[in-house]
Parts: sequence; C-alpha cells; structure tokens
Amino acid sequence: MMIELNNIRKIYSLGKIQVEALKGISLKINKGEYVAIVGPSGSGKSTLMNIIGLLDKPTSGSYKLNDIEVSTLNDNQLAYLRNRQIGFVFQSFNLLSKLNALANVELPMLYAKIPSKERRQRALRALEIVGLSERIHHKPNELSGGQQQRVAIARAIVMNPSFLLADEPTGNLDTASSIEIMKIFYQLNESGTTIVMVTHEQDIANHTKRIVRLRDGNIIEDTIVPNRIIY
Amino acid sequence: MHILEAIKLAIDSILSNKLRAFLTMLGIIIGIASVITIVSLGTGGQKAILGEFEKIGVNVFSIKTRNDVEIRDSDRLAIRDVEMIRKRLSSVKYAAPIAEKMGLAKTDKYTKRALFIATDFDYGNVSNLKVIYGRFLNEKDILIGRNVVLIDKDSAKELFGYEDCVGKTIKIGSYSSFDTAEIIGVIDSGNLKSLGGSIADQIPVIAAIPITYAQKIFPDVNISQIYVMTYDQNQLDETSSQALRLIESLHHNKDKYKTENLIRFLEEFNRILGIFTAVIGAIAGISLLVGGIGIMNIMLVSVTERTREIGIRKAIGARQRDILTQFLIEAVTISLIGGAIGIFLGYILANIVGPFIDITPVFSINTILIAFLFSTAVGIFFGIYPAQKAAKLDPIVALRYE
Ligand SMILES: Nc1ncnc2c1ncn2[C@@H]1O[C@H](COP(=O)(O)OP(=O)(O)O)[C@@H](O)[C@H]1O
Ligand SMILES: [Mg+2]
Repeated sequence: MMIELNNIRKIYSLGKIQVEALKGISLKINKGEYVAIVGPSGSGKSTLMNIIGLLDKPTSGSYKLNDIEVSTLNDNQLAYLRNRQIGFVFQSFNLLSKLNALANVELPMLYAKIPSKERRQRALRALEIVGLSERIHHKPNELSGGQQQRVAIARAIVMNPSFLLADEPTGNLDTASSIEIMKIFYQLNESGTTIVMVTHEQDIANHTKRIVRLRDGNIIEDTIVPNRIIY
Repeated sequence: MHILEAIKLAIDSILSNKLRAFLTMLGIIIGIASVITIVSLGTGGQKAILGEFEKIGVNVFSIKTRNDVEIRDSDRLAIRDVEMIRKRLSSVKYAAPIAEKMGLAKTDKYTKRALFIATDFDYGNVSNLKVIYGRFLNEKDILIGRNVVLIDKDSAKELFGYEDCVGKTIKIGSYSSFDTAEIIGVIDSGNLKSLGGSIADQIPVIAAIPITYAQKIFPDVNISQIYVMTYDQNQLDETSSQALRLIESLHHNKDKYKTENLIRFLEEFNRILGIFTAVIGAIAGISLLVGGIGIMNIMLVSVTERTREIGIRKAIGARQRDILTQFLIEAVTISLIGGAIGIFLGYILANIVGPFIDITPVFSINTILIAFLFSTAVGIFFGIYPAQKAAKLDPIVALRYE
C-alpha cells in the first residue's frame, strides 16, 4: 500500500481553544490512483494533505508510506522522503521568484545532489512533459498563472516521486488554464503517477477516479467517479 | 546542496539589494581596512628600522665616557683599553676605538673639509662600513701608525674625478699642518651624498685613518667611544658590564663610563609598536563587532523576508542543514566581500599615508590571510544565529507566511 492512514487525528491548540481538524481519518490509497479530496472550507482537507505530505505530524494515529511508519522519522528523514517520494503542487504555485523556470525545476535535484548535467537534462524533460519547452529562462513573474503551475508540476514530477499532492491546483487559475492542468494530470496518471488532489470544485473533482469527501474532520463519503472526464 | 550553488545564491541575493548589502558591509570594511593599513605601515616601519639595526649589528655595544661627570685626562679611553677588552673578555669578537676629528683634505686642485674617523682594523667588522676599492686598515697600519687613509667614493670622485683612487696620495691635517697620506681604500658613502644640491657640498670627506696615525698628526685627538661586538646577542648585557668593570680597573676610577646598545632602542621601539597595534586592534575589533552585528541584523531581516522561500525549499526536500548552510554562506559571503573591499581600501590608504610618514607599507600574505580569516569568522559568528533560525522554521508555518 502506498498511503495508509489509520485513525489520524489532528488537534490544533490555540492557547485554551483546541481545534480538532481531523477526527480519526482512515484512508488507503494505492499506486496509480487518482483521488480527489473534497469538502467545504474548514473541513480539514489541507490539514490532511500536509500530513500526507510529511509537512505536518498528526496528533495521533498511524501513517504508513510505502509500508514505512513515518511518525517515528526525524526531520532529516522526512526531508529525504519529501524530496524523493512526494511532489507538491500548491494553489499559489510556490515557485522561487528569483529563479527562472528551469532553475525552479532543478531545485529538488539540487537537494538530491544530482550532478548539474543530469539536473539540466531531467528538468528539460519534465518541462517538456508539462508542455513548457519555451520560456524556460523566464522568471515566474514573467509567466502566466497556467504556465507557472506547469513549472510547479514539472518541479513536482522531476524526482519521479511516488505520488503528487496537489492542494487546490486550479484555485488560482482561469477555466482554460485549469483544463490544461487537468489534461497534464490526466496524462501523468495515465502513465502511472499517483495523484491526490484537494479541490472544492466538482468539475475538477470529476477528472479523478475517486472522490473522498470530508466534513468537520471526518470522511463522510468515499466513492468511485462514475463518468469521469478524460482526454 | 552544493557549496558553489549556495555561494551563487548568496551573491544573487546580495546583488539584488546592493545598497543594503554595502551598508551592512561598512563595519567590516572599516575594520579590515584599518587593520590592513596599520599592520602594513607598522610592518613597513618595523622592517625599515630593523634593517638599520641589522646594518650596524644588534650584538654591538659602545662604551663612552659619561658627559654628566667630570672627566680627567687619566679617565679618557685609550688604545690599551681596546686591547685589553679584546684580550680579557672571551665573549668579545671585535672591538674598535673611535675618535672623530674635523679637519681638511687637500689635493693639488682642491681643499675640502673632512671628517676623520680614527680607528683600527676591527672597525670594518663592528660597523656597516663597506670597502669598495682597495683594503681596510690592517694590524700593521695600526702598529706603526702608518700614514694611510680610506676616503668615501663620492669624495674620491670629487677630488680625483673617478672613484678608484687607490694608490693616490692626499694631504690631510688641520689648518696649519698637513701630512701626506696614501689612499689604500675607497668606502661606500651610502646615500649620504645622494641628497644632492648644496647639501651635498656641505658634506665633508669621510676619511678613515689609523688611530695611531691620528695621534701623530692631531695631538688633541681623543677616543670618544669603543665599539664592541660580542659573538652572540645574548652576551651583550653581561659583556657590557664586564667591559665597564675592566676599563674602570684599568683607569682606577668608577662611574666615569657608560655603555649603550641598540637592543634597548629596539625594545623601546617594539614596545611603542605594541601599544600602537593594541590600540588599533581595539578600534578594528570594535568595527568588526559593529560590522558583525550589522550582518546579524540584516540576516535576520533576510530570514523573515524569505520565510516562504524557506518553506518551499523545505517542502521539496531541503534539510535543516541545507538551509543553515545557505544562510551561513550568505553571511560569510557578505563579510568576505566586505573584507576584500576592506583589504583593497587598506592597501590604498596605506600607500597614501605611507609617504607622509616616510614608511613604505609592507603587505604580507599573512596579513591578507588573517584579514580574510577574520571576515570569515565574523560572518560565521554573527550569521549562525539567523541561519539556525531559518533552518528550524516549521515548513507549514513558513509556507503559510505571506
Ligand atoms: N495552523 C492552524 N492553527 C489552528 N487551527 C488551524 C490551523 N490550520 C487549520 N486550522 C483549523 O483546522 C480546520 C481545518 O482547516 P483546513 O485543513 O485548512 O481546512 P480546509 O483546507 O478544508 O479548508 C479549520 O477549522 C482551521 O481553522
Ligand atoms: Mg485548504
């Protein structure tokens, strides 16, 4: 099993007030799946994504990533797993503004200590996969939102991670760009990439194979998408 | 992450905010520039003075009659004193009497004033005198009081038209009586006469003659001092007092003589230089401290400004160590660039100030290395806290930072 969550709870403490963002989530995601996590705002989607993405730790519960229990790992080991196993795609792209598109894509490989020549080759290939072979020497602020998100996806896939985690990847994009991104996700998934995506838009969720619905920190529905949109 | 990448990143980050980086570096620049200026001038001065000392010899002392007590004729230094110093004191390598006398030197064409240095064969060994033609005085010259003379090369040129006038004769003496002496050698006049113009004309002929000969032609000549060279520098003090006691016993007197050596001057000089260096060191230290605080401040600002960047880097796999290295290298780069500018500025400053105080600054690799080392140390010391702060940021908190 690629991702296996068991009774995951997350409690935020704000002084005296405690917010229970996740109230015992159990979820299994297999290799090759394409999952949408949906739910109203504040239902705990981002909290769940951060835990799956090893950016945050649950208050209790077990999380096995490729059959390894991650709750006991230290910061360095988590950084290593984020680097090798997980590709992040954020709503606000989160590219480094001082680096051009190519350098942004190369960045994860820098931390993996991949030699510069290979870095360059792999970055170019990743950019090609997301359909961005031009403008690769432009800084993020010289690119459109859709282009920036494609750079971000290239960065996310360049280390050949086990899965992509996308938190509202189309949240900042117009419809046309959103469709572009969904096409890329479709193709990535078709070629074997596991994708877990948070969205609150039903149209976007309908691109996936499986929808997990959250409310108030609980999974209230976990269904197969009957007529998903394919390209 | 690779160090080179971190350096490139640091330079990019500095270049993107040049004025701020420059202001940050100012303390380092001033600190390092002052260190370089002072150390290079100090070293230059020290080298010049040590050079002078070395010419004369640091294991040389002189004995003279004191000028604050009454001196009778029987107290005056004599050739016998020199002989006894040579004979009795085992640590003495050379000893030479010196009597100075102003007089005249004449050729057929010219009459010139002359400074006669009446001495013996050891003088060449205890002084920095250089014979360039012919030979110096020998034992026989002294023994028989031979009428021989060495003159300086500039005077030789003036009197004869060429430097090598060995074998010529010259008339020497005071205003009324002259004696004919054979020139047996020509000595280097150093840079005395390179002063040029009318000053050069004022400079007399420098003429070395046997002390025994001087006593024949100048009845009133007195040995003003005895130069003594020991085998080793650390024999200087003991030999000085032994020589003093020896001469006192020879003259049956007490407290009429004194000894002087250059070591004491050297020690005094080094002491003053030490104080000087300490004061400047303190100033430089304060500048570096201020500079370091400036760097810490700017790095803290930088960490805050780039919180989101740190979050992104962590999300894609940067370890704490990677972030720490990145910010530390940035701090060190700033202080190293500041240090380099400081070294350059110090170099310029020392070369501007040098001529005014008559010192040629000396820039050693060591000084420059130390300056770089200091810059690096300041960068690391004051950069480590901000860098640690950056490294310890929680990735989600950092990612959420606007
Ligand atoms: N860092 C935090 N500190 C305190 N409360 C938080 C924090 N992050 C999220 N929450 C709370 O946890 C709940 C779930 O939030 P989140 O996971 O962001 O929901 P979603 O992404 O579905 O909108 C919300 O009530 C939110 O206010
Ligand atoms: Mg959210």
